[in-house]
Amino acid sequence: MINFTFDGRAYQAREGDTLAAALLRNGIGLVGRSFKYHRPRGIMTAGVEEPNALVTVGEGGRTEPNTRVTDVFVYEGLVARSQNRWPSPSLDFGAVLGLAAPVFSAGFYYKTFFGSAKRWMFYEYFIRKAAGLGNAPTGADPDRFSQRAAFCDVLVVGAGPAGLSAALEAAEAGKRVILVEQDSILGPSLIRDPQELDFTWIEATAVRIRAAGGRILMRTTASGYWEHNLVTLTQRIAEPGQVPANGVAQRLWHIRAEQVILATGSIERPMAFAHNDRPGVMLSQAVRAYVRRFGVTPGKRVVIATNNDDAYKTARALKEAGAEIVAILDARPAPAGSGCGFAVHNNAVPLSTEGARHCLKSVSAQIGGTIQSWNADLLAVSGGFTPVVHLHMQAGGTLDWNEAAQAFVPATVRQNVTTIGGAANPEPMVAVTPISNPKKSFIDFQNDVTLADVDLAWAEGYRSVEHLKRYTTLGMATDQGKTSNMAALGRLAEKQGVAIPEAGLTTFRPPYTPVTMGLLAGAGAKDAGAHVRRLVLYDVHAAKNPIWQPLGYWFRPRAYPLTGESLAQAALREARTVRTHVGMTDVSTLAKFEINGPDAAALLEIICATTVSKLAVGRGRYTFMLREDGFVFDDGTVWRLGENRYLLTSSTGGADRMATHISYVRQYLCPHLRVSAVNVQEHYAGIAVAGPNAKSVMATLIGEEPPRHMSTVPATIAGTPVVVLAASYSGERAFEIYVEASHATPVWTACETEVAAQGGCLFGMEAMEFLRIEKGHLVVGGEIDGRMTPHDLALDKMLNKAGGFIGASGLSRPALSEPGRRQLVGLEGIEGIIPEGSMLITREGEAPQGHVSAAAFRIVEGGSIALGQLEDGFNRHGEELIATSPTRGQKARVRVTHPHFYDTAGERYRD
Amino acid sequence: MTNITVTALPATPLHALEIWSNPAAVANRFEAATGFALPAMGRSSGTDALRLIRYEPTVWLVEGDATALHAISGDDGALTAIGGGVVRVRLSGPDWRLLLMEGGVFDAENPAFAPGCSAATIIDHVAVRLHVLREDVCDAYVPASFSAGLVHFLEEAAGSLVA
Repeated sequence: MINFTFDGRAYQAREGDTLAAALLRNGIGLVGRSFKYHRPRGIMTAGVEEPNALVTVGEGGRTEPNTRVTDVFVYEGLVARSQNRWPSPSLDFGAVLGLAAPVFSAGFYYKTFFGSAKRWMFYEYFIRKAAGLGNAPTGADPDRFSQRAAFCDVLVVGAGPAGLSAALEAAEAGKRVILVEQDSILGPSLIRDPQELDFTWIEATAVRIRAAGGRILMRTTASGYWEHNLVTLTQRIAEPGQVPANGVAQRLWHIRAEQVILATGSIERPMAFAHNDRPGVMLSQAVRAYVRRFGVTPGKRVVIATNNDDAYKTARALKEAGAEIVAILDARPAPAGSGCGFAVHNNAVPLSTEGARHCLKSVSAQIGGTIQSWNADLLAVSGGFTPVVHLHMQAGGTLDWNEAAQAFVPATVRQNVTTIGGAANPEPMVAVTPISNPKKSFIDFQNDVTLADVDLAWAEGYRSVEHLKRYTTLGMATDQGKTSNMAALGRLAEKQGVAIPEAGLTTFRPPYTPVTMGLLAGAGAKDAGAHVRRLVLYDVHAAKNPIWQPLGYWFRPRAYPLTGESLAQAALREARTVRTHVGMTDVSTLAKFEINGPDAAALLEIICATTVSKLAVGRGRYTFMLREDGFVFDDGTVWRLGENRYLLTSSTGGADRMATHISYVRQYLCPHLRVSAVNVQEHYAGIAVAGPNAKSVMATLIGEEPPRHMSTVPATIAGTPVVVLAASYSGERAFEIYVEASHATPVWTACETEVAAQGGCLFGMEAMEFLRIEKGHLVVGGEIDGRMTPHDLALDKMLNKAGGFIGASGLSRPALSEPGRRQLVGLEGIEGIIPEGSMLITREGEAPQGHVSAAAFRIVEGGSIALGQLEDGFNRHGEELIATSPTRGQKARVRVTHPHFYDTAGERYRD
Repeated sequence: MTNITVTALPATPLHALEIWSNPAAVANRFEAATGFALPAMGRSSGTDALRLIRYEPTVWLVEGDATALHAISGDDGALTAIGGGVVRVRLSGPDWRLLLMEGGVFDAENPAFAPGCSAATIIDHVAVRLHVLREDVCDAYVPASFSAGLVHFLEEAAGSLVA
């Protein structure tokens, strides 16, 4: 026996029990309270379609709310708690809401919670208090979630008799086969309904499938069907709340299949009658499953209500288990059910039930024109069968209406998918029109939607099934309408006076059953997503305990605070040191491309919008790149390292985009060029040294006169070959040192020693931002935001007059040179600190004419400065504006200026 | 648990060899100089001293001593050093195929992906190049910045792998 607890009380289960079976085995009929009215609810089904019996399983971070008791297998120590009740399911004070049921009709939220935003803030508190069923855990999930890919010739979904047979045939034909089953055993329907194929056949078939190389995945649900025969599977490796044996709780499979076979079976439908949601009212096949698979008999005196032949199997199973069948209510006329040996009433439909919170006591029915009642503790209902067509529909298929079965069945397909078995051929039934009190006749048990709600929606003008769904909340939440949609469609069709197919269908969206968020995140669940790119000098930086800053996938030092310094203080100290002495920083993340070959300059003059071919060997220049539409999308520098060898640098954040762009140009636009373009971003580590003492530092390091501004030389530092580029982003005399990454540490150490000796320090990204803003240099993602042309950024004088570069044609469009375009400007604070990201307006209440793209302070003198984009900005220097950020409640008066606040003549670059 | 080890190999010279003209002539010169042919797309050839893997129509990854290739490529191609930015991660053991399916998108379980085969793919969002060295060894060429994270991911996955 296996020990578990429910609401703090200890119970025992048998090996292989679902929690539902174990609760029934222990005589527990009341499992929780319903969502809206807090009505007592028990177990209705034996599968993933269970709408009622939702519990919270597990403890701490492993807690899983809203778990269907039919979809968790009991393990030693399982802890389960009922939901949506206080203090207990038996005594639930929330049940008082049931008295107000007439008020909580369809559209209650829409009719009640309206008005101003302020009112909504008031409503929200109460709605959030009342909303939902179980509570999400507050602790982190300690388990891991895996994501795995697999490829196969044939994917079979569902291991019933049809699925097993299909998988066996494909595997023994030499196909790569994957068979998935959401249950913990193969062929569960064969155990419920033993046929000529029994458990021995199931075991033998599984052995043969595996022997032929097939893979069988248990506790695995096909949760979504996507384009190109991609099917996602969710596999429970550990049960909800269980400590996984190897650390992995669940696995998300991405399966690419040549062919998909859907053997997903069908779901039995409930019937709509008054108080059909009471504990003790169950689906007929579920009752049979509990009897035959789990050895649990959910009732002793049983009434069965049906509109088909299948429910008679339940009667026989119950009789074999010792239960008394007091009546079978068959909606069909005689001779349906005749000769079965039970008390069959034809033309009979249930009207209502009576009972206590925990159990059913009696069932009343209308038989022809009379009403009759029976004492019973179990009512097994079968309202027909709904084929599970979710995956077929997600694959782009269509449905046909099967009149005999009163059900939608798969029709045309758009991918290589076939539906077989019960999902393709549901059993016939007769349609039954509900005759009970619609206010107590539930159709969506999970969302407490009754027939009266559908009627009200209709009366209020909701004609589309999609509108009906949203107005009533029918078919939402974890259940997704598995047991409710057909009943609602039937009622809607009845109201419309049309056949069900004409009433329409809602969309079958993935996932088929709830998927935990951790599974979607996969291994990234523990570290907020994708891998962090690690600087080659990471350990060197980490030893100095910097403040780190994410930049794309990278983390870079933002500042190196001394003891007691804030970020702002550290950044300002670092920036001032660069302005007055010298500083160094890690620029390894910059995009870098090596372009080799006789046509290297030709390729670069297509990629870059500036001239390149006129560069002398050993010289470099600033450059920028345009999209086809003429807008600037990146910038950087280009260096001629040799006769046919160039180095192109561009922004860190745009590195991957630039690599793709260059590859596109090289391979698609210019396959004829004799050139090689190789991404060397990570091959070279980069170190920038900047400040009035930078030249002196560099001379000491390389033992010779450093290159002049925008020149480059090969050199050696600490015995390591390097390339020195004289380029400045800070506005000071500056150099960038590039070294093969695996040899970067000794070069960094040598630089750091010499910088410190000359009064310098390390500086991070925050100081770099201060420096470049003061100098008026652009940054991709800030001033270069994909909406600015070279003219808007005052770069047009640098354009290659010969044209031929990407974006040249787009740039010639008249709209890009019309007045009123936003243009790069500088902004000086007159009063207040300029808020970054704020809007630029002339007067309060007027429309914005631009925005602040970056804000900082004058590094030495102090004072608020910023860069921005302003309509006709070039012609508005001297104008006073307001920089305002209403969402932050910040504003400043500013004056429009030239965007260069420091050394406008560029004299500090030069020796 | 599975039978697999994940090891970051020491740095070694790696180059990108691109041939832009006269490919047949270069191939002949190459085979004459090295004793083996330039590999076809998605394949490798060579020895532990010099191995080439073709990963783009005109580009080969060169592992080992590439000194001779400057002369072989002549004016028809170029050799660019890339070794500083690539970490070779070796997956050893019979279950490397299963491990590569974790966070993967490539059919590494396909028997046709045999020794001498190469593929560019994604593992846990990281772009890598795979090369099947032997039936029980596969090397992944990983961007250096991602290598620590990916090795950690692969080690964790290997430790909890269930077929």
